[in-house]
Amino acid sequence: MAEGGVENINLSVNAGECILLCGRSGCGKTTITKLINGLIPHYFAGELSGSVKVGSLDAFQTPMYQLAEKVGSVFQNPRTQFFNIDVDSEIAFGIENEAVRPDELHQRLDATIDTLKIKPLQGRNIFELSGGEKQKIAFASVYAMNPDVYLLDEPSSNLDMASIYDLKAYLQLLKQQRKTILIAEHRLYYLMDVADRIVYLSEGKIEAIHTPESFCALSGNTRKSMGLRAVDLRCVHPKDKPRREHSVLLEVKDVALHYKKRPIVKNITLKAAKGEIIGVVGCNGTGKTTFLRTLCGLHKDYTGAFLWSGKQQNGKDRMKRSYMVMQDVNYELFADSVGAECSFGIKNPDMELVEKTLSELELIPFREKHPNTLSGGQKQRVAVAVSMICGKELLVFDEPTSGLDFDSMQQVAALIQKLAADKIIFVVTHDYEFICQVCSRIIHFGQGQMTGGIVVSEENEKQIRERIGAVDTLERKD
Amino acid sequence: MTVTIEKKKQFIRFDPRTKIILLVLSMIVATTTPSLLYECVLILLIAGFGSVCGKVRYSLIGSAVFMALYLSTVFYLENSTGTMHTMFTAWLSLVFKVYPGGMLAGIAVSTTRVNEFLSAMNKAHISRKIIIPLAVMLRYIPTIREDWRYIKDAMRLRDVSPSIIGLFTHPGMTVECLYSPLLMAASKAADELAIASVTRGIENPKPRTCLIQIRFRIQDVLIILCFLAVPVASLCC
Amino acid sequence: MSNQLQTNTVKKGLTVKDLIIMGVFAALLTVCSMIGGIFFAITPTLTFYFSIGAALLPGPVFLLLLAKVPKRGALAIIGTIVAVLSLVLGMHWAMGLGGLIGSLLADMVAGTKKYRSKKMNILAYIVYSFGPTGTYFAYFIDPQTWASTMLKKGTTEDYINAMNNTADWRVLVIMIVGTILVAWLSGFIGSKLLKKQFEKAGIIA
Repeated sequence: MAEGGVENINLSVNAGECILLCGRSGCGKTTITKLINGLIPHYFAGELSGSVKVGSLDAFQTPMYQLAEKVGSVFQNPRTQFFNIDVDSEIAFGIENEAVRPDELHQRLDATIDTLKIKPLQGRNIFELSGGEKQKIAFASVYAMNPDVYLLDEPSSNLDMASIYDLKAYLQLLKQQRKTILIAEHRLYYLMDVADRIVYLSEGKIEAIHTPESFCALSGNTRKSMGLRAVDLRCVHPKDKPRREHSVLLEVKDVALHYKKRPIVKNITLKAAKGEIIGVVGCNGTGKTTFLRTLCGLHKDYTGAFLWSGKQQNGKDRMKRSYMVMQDVNYELFADSVGAECSFGIKNPDMELVEKTLSELELIPFREKHPNTLSGGQKQRVAVAVSMICGKELLVFDEPTSGLDFDSMQQVAALIQKLAADKIIFVVTHDYEFICQVCSRIIHFGQGQMTGGIVVSEENEKQIRERIGAVDTLERKD
Repeated sequence: MTVTIEKKKQFIRFDPRTKIILLVLSMIVATTTPSLLYECVLILLIAGFGSVCGKVRYSLIGSAVFMALYLSTVFYLENSTGTMHTMFTAWLSLVFKVYPGGMLAGIAVSTTRVNEFLSAMNKAHISRKIIIPLAVMLRYIPTIREDWRYIKDAMRLRDVSPSIIGLFTHPGMTVECLYSPLLMAASKAADELAIASVTRGIENPKPRTCLIQIRFRIQDVLIILCFLAVPVASLCC
Repeated sequence: MSNQLQTNTVKKGLTVKDLIIMGVFAALLTVCSMIGGIFFAITPTLTFYFSIGAALLPGPVFLLLLAKVPKRGALAIIGTIVAVLSLVLGMHWAMGLGGLIGSLLADMVAGTKKYRSKKMNILAYIVYSFGPTGTYFAYFIDPQTWASTMLKKGTTEDYINAMNNTADWRVLVIMIVGTILVAWLSGFIGSKLLKKQFEKAGIIA
């Protein structure tokens, strides 16, 4: 069976129920959502038998626009979900297609904006919004159509903690309205008090259906062997990392960043040694990315100094030394095969090193394949391979775990830890579980400041949680 | 952002269709006018239109640049000779043919939101086969800029120069760096965008309604009459 | 692939997906030709060679578009959209008209081999690249009236002489030959990339 295919699926969902679909990447959970919203077979072709009924509609025979009135879908990537440039038109997009009368359009738009508390976003350009805000607009557009069934396909992948809790609040609102919800998701912790049933899929089959109670009762090891991520962040604690004694290599001295002549962050001072994995946390738009781009020599508007083993470094020097594994790693893969990618742009590539790196990262079987045909985790490894072959000493990972299942997250974690042996690594992430496991310390951006150096250890747990915002709604002071 | 929108509300708003009519009219004038004097009148009208739309500074600068071009033509070009003269004559002619349209377009584009424009197209009963790609195109242009920023970073980190010079010194490599991620991203975006719109019922055959309601009002009629006066005058005289 | 439901997905005409792909690629085509052409457009002595610069970059985009949407009307619609936009953006009317005619002809050229032949698609791209020359043809057809608007006394003797000079026909020849060569090069690179990258990457549906 092909990756993502499913067979023998029998599932009936009652009105008002919330179903969580989980399992490893490629287990078929997304496929199930596509069967319900009609993308299969209307948009994606393939072998198909059986039937899907939504209310009284036969999903395979009903045209998609009719299904769309009953089934609303929210997808993973906030950047490619919007059709319009301004927020209002985007929210109204679905109901405009339904040909709702103009005066009612406005009523529904206003009602949606009120209920979902997105007044501050009204009238804005979607391109100026953060990922979390875009995802809210995508949700609002579906909400305005008032469907009976909501399908969400990994909606939290690109969100920070605060946005995830906002999403959770939306789901609770839908439950109050007795809507039916199906969510395919890797991050499970925020759904435990939302889901009514948890469907675990493996290789295209339904392996088990749990209640939240029986699901939470699974032991940590059982859960991990199922390839699932944490169900309760309260049970995830920072691990003490072995201290590695290295002398300070990178020194950031009183750096201030500007963007289009506006100051963003001031007084960044930082010291780092090889072996460190520094987690970079903070909300969107606080200058995390700008700082790391400056560190890599890509952003030029700054004051202050960067030192590498005591010597001042200009932008070019830093660019030579550093590499960034982007969140959307597709932007940095250029060649037509994994093998070619590894020696791309290098005058006299050291073939032995290429060979060694490929086997180290378990990329040998994919050598002849086009990078675009690989999975997200594999692409990431190709980018890492490139950085190793180019001999980069400073690595920046931007949200390396977004959209990854437990196994892939483990792999990335292990990889980063291995790389850290002779490199300095920065990881931008919102993933509390990941930080606990991998980072040696975190630096936090916010309010035009960088606060540095919270060592990731058991005793600092409370501080770390606060910095990342990993505090559940129940614990949050309102 | 919200501030600018409120500010704009103080000025007179026009139907996007009016703006298109004005554009067509000024293009007709610019291509058919027997003398540059009519074009001066047209520029004055455009500046006036721009000012009531709230683009006072833009209108002033636009008119000033036009006057500079006009005066230099009248005083300099008429009296000089030579090959350069010929080239400049041809080029300046093009500039004069395009300038009013361009200046008006600047006003029209900055005072019309994309959804208003699409609503106007919708109202003019233009086929969906044109409106959908047009809407996607307008939405995708800013995305190209975002994509390019990422690609540029990625190229620099791989020591490939993201510039025209790079295109000539390392053609093969630069070409791949440019097109490969750009077109991969475009294909992926097109796919996801299509999915996001079919699941929201874009294929619905019912005539689509529109949040933004546009209609002709008295100011639309007045401004069209003003603009219409120029070609009429140039025909009569 | 033996299911009868398959027939649902294989529609003959342009689907919404096709229309969206066309929109995305129209944006890319326009941006690419602007980047290539802008330098020529603003330099007075090079303005005639705008189409050469504009033809430099969009070739691969054009060929990938045809590979993804090998259907009648795709190019014609893109031409229409770009013409509408160039009207709204205040370009010279002949440019929009030229673009429209160029893409209609390109659609026909590529259509002769059902949009599947790379050679024909490159030829279609060359035809398409002549779109922006509309303005200059409008000029070359009648250079006298072109400038007469501007110069009160009518065109000077000198100007007419210069226009009738072979030098200016040379401009026209360079413009045409240059555009053909550059468009061919860009289309050729496009077909190579298509084979090397995009077919292998599996993004051609």
